[in-house]
Amino acid sequence: MPDFSPILTRWQFLLSALSVTIYISLLSIAFGFLIGIVVGALRTYGGRVVDSVLGFYVDTMRSLPQLVVLVWTFFAFPLIVGFSMSSTTAGIIGLSAHLGAYVAETVRAGLTSVRRGQMQAALALGMSRLEAIHKIVLPQALIRMMPALGSLCTYAIKDSAIASVIAVPELLRQSQIVVGQTYRYQLVYTTLMIVYFLICYPVARGVDRLYRRVAHLGSS
Amino acid sequence: MTAGWSLVWDNAGRFAEGALLTVELTVVTMLLAIPGGLLLAFLRLSRWRLIRFAATAFVELFRSTPLILQIYWVYYVLPSFTDILLPGLAVALIGLVCNISSYNSETFRAGIVSIRRGQWNAGLALGMNSAQVMLKIVLPQAAMRVLPALASTWVSLFKDTALVSVIHVGDLAYVALKIRTETFVILPVLNAMAVGYWLMGYPQAKLVDWIHRRYKVAE
Amino acid sequence: MNAPARVGADQPPILTFENVSKRYGGLQALSEVSCQVNRGEVVCMIGPSGSGKSTLLRCANALETLEGGRITFDGADVHAAGGDARKVRQRMGMVFQNFELFPHLTVLRNVTIGPTTVLKLDAATADARARALLAKVGLSDKAGQHPAALSGGQQQRVAIARALAMEPALMLFDEPTSALDPETIGEVLSVMKALADEGMTMVVVTHEMDFAKRVADWVVVFDQGRVIEQGPPKQIFEAATVQRTREFLSHLGWHGESIAEVAKSG
Repeated sequence: MPDFSPILTRWQFLLSALSVTIYISLLSIAFGFLIGIVVGALRTYGGRVVDSVLGFYVDTMRSLPQLVVLVWTFFAFPLIVGFSMSSTTAGIIGLSAHLGAYVAETVRAGLTSVRRGQMQAALALGMSRLEAIHKIVLPQALIRMMPALGSLCTYAIKDSAIASVIAVPELLRQSQIVVGQTYRYQLVYTTLMIVYFLICYPVARGVDRLYRRVAHLGSS
Repeated sequence: MTAGWSLVWDNAGRFAEGALLTVELTVVTMLLAIPGGLLLAFLRLSRWRLIRFAATAFVELFRSTPLILQIYWVYYVLPSFTDILLPGLAVALIGLVCNISSYNSETFRAGIVSIRRGQWNAGLALGMNSAQVMLKIVLPQAAMRVLPALASTWVSLFKDTALVSVIHVGDLAYVALKIRTETFVILPVLNAMAVGYWLMGYPQAKLVDWIHRRYKVAE
Repeated sequence: MNAPARVGADQPPILTFENVSKRYGGLQALSEVSCQVNRGEVVCMIGPSGSGKSTLLRCANALETLEGGRITFDGADVHAAGGDARKVRQRMGMVFQNFELFPHLTVLRNVTIGPTTVLKLDAATADARARALLAKVGLSDKAGQHPAALSGGQQQRVAIARALAMEPALMLFDEPTSALDPETIGEVLSVMKALADEGMTMVVVTHEMDFAKRVADWVVVFDQGRVIEQGPPKQIFEAATVQRTREFLSHLGWHGESIAEVAKSG
């Protein structure tokens, strides 16, 4: 039985690191989804110019590694705008901007997969386009895209670990500090693998389960 | 700021080497991860429960944990199991191949399973055995189905290679960050890094879009 | 002999089509279509598939645009620049071939969403109105369920209730029974007939010739984007003046039985 004391004696330190991981994951999911829904809807309904301009943002984020986005946001962006930000703030901004592009693509695919007749039926009742999108098309699209959106959520949690590179005090980074103090590489990294697995796997399965129960609400 | 940009041009050679390594890592990983993914897919469809379970556990482990952690894990933990000290590049490759094979196995498994049962039956009814049906009927159709997903995974992989920089493997990200640390020049160097990835990644992303459009599955 | 006056001829028509033309890609979907709908009238539009009937309907409530001609509703141009298409659509109800119920909402919410969102009614009024309408179409017990749990005929009846909840002046039916199993067609047609008997102005694109014969006050026959003939059902089904009309009807198995005979056969 391996000696877990290096971890157990630092449980408060590591627990707070875990809470930072959860915190930045949740925030980047929240902001990423917000950005993604708005961008995805604008690209679908906003006309060609809007589609191209926002397409540039989306395709750029698809071309840049998360690591590059995070490093650039923390080190380069402050030099351009003139004020500095904490590593955690930079981390959330970088993660949200990157995730938002993928959410936008998913939302766009979802919106176009909803039958045209649904939009027509909503307009025929006298709704404005905005009302029709907001109340009729978007809800169905989000339900249909639940599996894809769920897997983006797990991506967000996994990518939060990359924020360790810009010294955000999340779980990976703080664990590396413990490794630095104790030289217990195997113990710490193996435990980390288990911890991340215990977070991400249930999220993925949970979304699957939820989707199976509500899928009929999205088929038109 | 011209002082900064001239620094970038002076180091163009190093940037280029880094970019080259990024590309090499991507290509070699995918070359290994396609057979790797196929192997895992077949193991997951095996008749024996134990093999299915082991393969599934492997795949789920690599899909539910961060790649950056997997790279650290292979780097620090694997040597103690095997007593071999591997160079950073090999470690990076092992981590990437295990990770991408896992994603590919899902893609292949879904592709194989998506071929309608009727196709199997048609092949068997002609008198072929299971292997022949798999090779001549199911796999060729599955190949077309999986191409869009594989293309997306390829671009993901290309971006993931940036993570090998954390174990000091000299890809584009590592080179850029090293130059920044050496010279304290920040903005031009980081911009150059971003532009470098963008120039390589953007066409790939567009190509993936084209592949998705071209190979749309029509039932 | 004087033909009997059309229903509602003593008042100005509620809906007019004047030389309406429309292209769809390379195809001329509608060419110089002219006809009118009077208040309280049931107008059935028949003709081969692809002859433009459904397109005309979607032009009537501005879901589609026109290339030529004019459509007026209550005297006002539907497609006027700067006009409010939404106001027109509020006063016209539309029932679609594929029902198009909103799958993520309950049956009740499907019927109340128009009144609450568009007419800005308060929830209680909208609720009461919806329940009354669901009772009218015979589906009170389905109020809390989702569309996926309903049969096609039930969904279409809910769709009719949804359109009626807006208290429209005119109902547009776009092949309402074409996507239904034969067993459920009857229940939808009954609801539509009851609506007609109450005096609702209806424009119905349909292939159900029995229905057209029994319920229509006026029949418009389309072919390849044009109106080839229009008149009372007696004329169209018993004594069509245009050869093409007779061809179309006989192709459907209709051999000129009189309307009285059809009514007798049940």
